[in-house]
Amino acid sequence: MAAAELLSQEFELGFTYTRSTGPVVGKFLTGLRDGKVYGVRGSDGRVLVPPAEYDPVTAAPLTDFVEVGQEGRLLSWCWVSEPREAHLLQQPFAWAMVQLDGADVPMIHCLEAPSAEAVTTGARVSISWADERQGFITDIRCFTLLQGAAS
Amino acid sequence: MAELAAVVGIGQTRYKTRRTDVSIAGLLREAVDRALADADVTFDDIDAVIIGKAPDMFEGVVMPESYLADALGAMGKPMLRVHTAGSVGGSTAIVAASHVQSGTFKRVLTVTFEKQSESNAMWALSTPQPFSVHLNAGAGGYFAPIIREYIRRSGAPGDIGIKVAVKDRRHGARNPLAHLQLPDITEQEVRDSMMLWDPLRFLEACPSSDGACAMVIAAEDSITGSKPPAWIRGVAMRSEPTMYAGREEVNPQAGRDCAADVYAQAGITNPRKDLDCAEIYVPFSWYEPMWLENLGFAPEGEGWKLTQEGATSLDAGGDIPWNCSGGVLCSNPIGASGMIRFAEAARQVRGDAGAHQVEGARLAMGHAYGGGAQFFAMWIVGADKG
Repeated sequence: MAAAELLSQEFELGFTYTRSTGPVVGKFLTGLRDGKVYGVRGSDGRVLVPPAEYDPVTAAPLTDFVEVGQEGRLLSWCWVSEPREAHLLQQPFAWAMVQLDGADVPMIHCLEAPSAEAVTTGARVSISWADERQGFITDIRCFTLLQGAAS
Repeated sequence: MAELAAVVGIGQTRYKTRRTDVSIAGLLREAVDRALADADVTFDDIDAVIIGKAPDMFEGVVMPESYLADALGAMGKPMLRVHTAGSVGGSTAIVAASHVQSGTFKRVLTVTFEKQSESNAMWALSTPQPFSVHLNAGAGGYFAPIIREYIRRSGAPGDIGIKVAVKDRRHGARNPLAHLQLPDITEQEVRDSMMLWDPLRFLEACPSSDGACAMVIAAEDSITGSKPPAWIRGVAMRSEPTMYAGREEVNPQAGRDCAADVYAQAGITNPRKDLDCAEIYVPFSWYEPMWLENLGFAPEGEGWKLTQEGATSLDAGGDIPWNCSGGVLCSNPIGASGMIRFAEAARQVRGDAGAHQVEGARLAMGHAYGGGAQFFAMWIVGADKG
């Protein structure tokens, strides 16, 4: 007896959505558009970047914004030797955990570097802004290495 | 259930078309802060958080509960997400109540929301599925043929839906939180509004709202706050399949069974007589007479007569006012809509319903339904422990 034919069909679904960022994430993204980076001070005194809308420890609403530096320290990284199309950088780059000066926690972004050999944990890095900024995290084009300033 | 539980705190946002000033987290937090203040407690007094919302595809945020843990003060506590389509606001309240009634927790925070302005509810409900019936016009398109069958069976006059639409909007005008504020609405205006899904006109359908509703539910030995508690006298849920050949869709069995169960728990034998008021999920006008019958407030085929004679109208001095808050026809943040019914029933028996208070209300019902009228959630709350 022949096996029964089981039917299947391709099915694609797409929708449009909008999103309101609210007063905290909105402040951060608006800051990026203006070439500034804002964090927020948490209940334990730490400056969180990107800012959290509610305290991760006490759940209190956070409103004490702090502008942090545009340079920082590379805490950890992972080299991407074959970037994918969706990646911001099309040359080999590093995913980087960067703690900006004045921040108490690292944030993740891309680091542009000539090769993996050029990157060392603890290196000093700096924001490289996008030519046109519109309030997205990609307004930070990437981070770049500061020469001869490893700490 | 071992423990007696009560609603000791209620918080709602003002329901609006758009809340672009707040994130989803900020919207929920507004209702949560009000509920905590109403109960005179802080996050420190809360043992667990139970959150509910309609399908993730509405806002396109998958598992929003995971991103909301900080906004809801759930750090270090159990957090649970409930989902039963449009009835989720009711079932979420019941899950929260059950966690207290079972003795598991002393005080539970429960919250539901929808941010329809950021979502795509109409088409998220109308996705074509290969090899399945294609529902192409949102909830109204699904329910309209069922309503037409109700009208055919019952012989109800054509203007019953119009009367419900006017009645609930006049109720809503008493409630400052209600989204639609239409104090001067007339039957003619409803009649003249655009026909969307025959027999449902534009003004016979619910709006799309942003909003959140929260409650604090506490055990008998953990009651707080200065307002009287609303004692939970019965809770029930029932489900059935969406569609199958021969399904009774006008008067679903699951709704009848759910009502019988919750009435038995609360000692109710005649809901119209025993209850002082009810907040029933009526997103489309004709569902008032249909649910009057499904829930046993009227014999089958005669629900429309209660609407016609004003029995469900606060303004007409009816004996069993339905949806004094304005109901779903005035405010519909979908995931929260069921919980608003449950919370508004509790407000009535706490004597805290403001200008839409039913004088001396002691026993009230909250009701929610969802999916293809296949998920039902109901509770009875009272001013007395029972």
